Amino acid sequence: MTNGRSKRKGTQRYPQSAQREILCVRSRRPCRPLRLSLFTLTVVLVFVIGTVFTSAQTPRHKPLSKTSTPQQAPKASAARYSAFLHSSEKHKSLECNSCHKAPTAWTAQRDFPDVADFPNHDACVRCHRQQFFTRQALAGSGPAICTVCHLRAAPREEVRFVFGKPNSAGQAAKPKDEHQFTIEFPHDKHQNVIASVRPDRRLDKAVGFIRAAFFEPPADDQKKSDYNNCSICHQPNTSLNIAPLTRPADTSAQVNRFFKTMPHSHDSCFNCHWKNQKPVGDDCAGCHKPAPTFAATPALKRTSAMFSHEGGKNEHVLECTTCHINITRASTLLGLTPDVPIAACATCHKDNKKTTYPKIVTIEEEFEQFKRTSSCAYCHASNVGKKKPPPSHDAAVQ
Amino acid sequence: MVTRAILISSFLLFPLSFFLFAQTPDARTRGVIRLKVKYKSGDVTRELPRKRFFLIKGTLDENRLLIEKIKQAQVMSRECYYRSKGASEALIKWLNENDCDSVYCREIEARYLSGSDTVPEFQAAYNLGLREFKTPELARRWLTVNLSADIRDGFYKQKQEVLDALVKQSEAATKTRVMSVMTDRKGTAYLTDIEPGTYTISNLVGSETEKSTILWACEKEVKAVDLAIAMRRPFTLSNEKDPKFKCEIVERLLPVCEKTAK
Repeated sequence: MTNGRSKRKGTQRYPQSAQREILCVRSRRPCRPLRLSLFTLTVVLVFVIGTVFTSAQTPRHKPLSKTSTPQQAPKASAARYSAFLHSSEKHKSLECNSCHKAPTAWTAQRDFPDVADFPNHDACVRCHRQQFFTRQALAGSGPAICTVCHLRAAPREEVRFVFGKPNSAGQAAKPKDEHQFTIEFPHDKHQNVIASVRPDRRLDKAVGFIRAAFFEPPADDQKKSDYNNCSICHQPNTSLNIAPLTRPADTSAQVNRFFKTMPHSHDSCFNCHWKNQKPVGDDCAGCHKPAPTFAATPALKRTSAMFSHEGGKNEHVLECTTCHINITRASTLLGLTPDVPIAACATCHKDNKKTTYPKIVTIEEEFEQFKRTSSCAYCHASNVGKKKPPPSHDAAVQ
Repeated sequence: MVTRAILISSFLLFPLSFFLFAQTPDARTRGVIRLKVKYKSGDVTRELPRKRFFLIKGTLDENRLLIEKIKQAQVMSRECYYRSKGASEALIKWLNENDCDSVYCREIEARYLSGSDTVPEFQAAYNLGLREFKTPELARRWLTVNLSADIRDGFYKQKQEVLDALVKQSEAATKTRVMSVMTDRKGTAYLTDIEPGTYTISNLVGSETEKSTILWACEKEVKAVDLAIAMRRPFTLSNEKDPKFKCEIVERLLPVCEKTAK
């Protein structure tokens, strides 16, 4: 690092007359004052630097030869190509399947046909030949564009990033859970058509049906067909780690273990949408909508972080839509608010409710608890439980 | 001078802010309907599960044109549709047993792919899947991708086309978005966040039961109410006439369909 002293030391000093000689253009006219000359010099310098910089950034439009059909990407700073953005103008203008092929070679990586890998080299090279093969690109540590998919830019570098998480060097800070796309999923349309069978103990377990209810059905009820359609995608999961609105101190193994799984692979969609049923497998844009830039995956906020679908002493006997009252109406992925109103809980967790269940904690009891300890801990983690119960809770038990 | 300007603007802004605050939608200024749908078939009363109901702005009289159109709308019954498409008896039986409008309604179990319960359409699609997907489990789970469109969800789509047209028409007439919900297995559904007023609740296309199709168009006045209160007071639709409610109910016996040729 250069300090002030060393700067001064390194500066060559000239007498004033000599300075004038250096800074003034020799002409027949007498030399102008120094202030004006400095100004002129600055303007000239800015102009020159600006021109050079602009020319480096401006794409050079070469006439396309007859053989080169794909338009070459502009020659620019090689480092700029180390990050890939679906949202760039050029990329946006392309069909998804012009790069992504469905399926890729899937048998080694998946149990089902899938878009399981980065597009092949041709998808990049057909436009970015200059970023791969020019002397400028090959200088230094190699073509930066390689590092969009590969860990290093080297001719024999095989190791790649995990598909779906390309290099994000161009992004200041991209947490791992950020994506360039959001997902469109109309819950209402899917509610119209899908449903799943409940577990039937008479069937061969090797068939592998998913557990379709969030309660253990009575034996005599098993013969009936049922309508737990949510369970096609959302299954019980005790290991799910969903970040709640809890303070770190509250995070224990007990918290957040009881929410349902969410689909995280194409398998959940392709089993119906692989072909014929739109949007089909190679129509990425049918479900993935481009975000303006990297968008954070919406973290699910759990107000009742202690709630357990499988809990309730195994007495949570209602159907999903009985509590998630708006989900058959929601045309979006995340549904509508309130998704589960407290009134749904009050159907059972209420003092004057005559239930056949064993003793359960009621909302009224939690009110008493709040008076004593200033915390409702049965359903809520402390970040929510320490707040005053909202009017909806009073209304629910009236 | 400055003080005076501040004072004047404060006087102007205060009522404006109050007005804006008063306009913010509050849950307590919105209405909720707890819908309960039942039907009587013979001596038994049952809840109507998994049927979609629509909330249309306006009274029955205001929606008269639409209601007439709903009554006239013809949708082929599920059985007749599948018979007209040459579906096998086994497939028709499978759809009826599971009360499914399309094959997506249930995961297709292995017993329908071979043996006495075989559904020929499923078996053929499964065999195609075996060649394409290699593993029997995947071929079974992804079976529907190899079914023809008519068999897969043709009936659902033809019904949906009629529904979409009716919804579009009612939205154009009322200039209000039509809300819809689906009943759960107990025949219950919630319509929330409703602007107070009078509405028509209808399933727009007759819902199939064991022997008949039932079409409802009922009038309901919605007041601002808390959800907890609305939950205690369901609005019940039934095919039995109730003088307390203004309802138009059309019940038609399911037609007898011609047997599948093959």
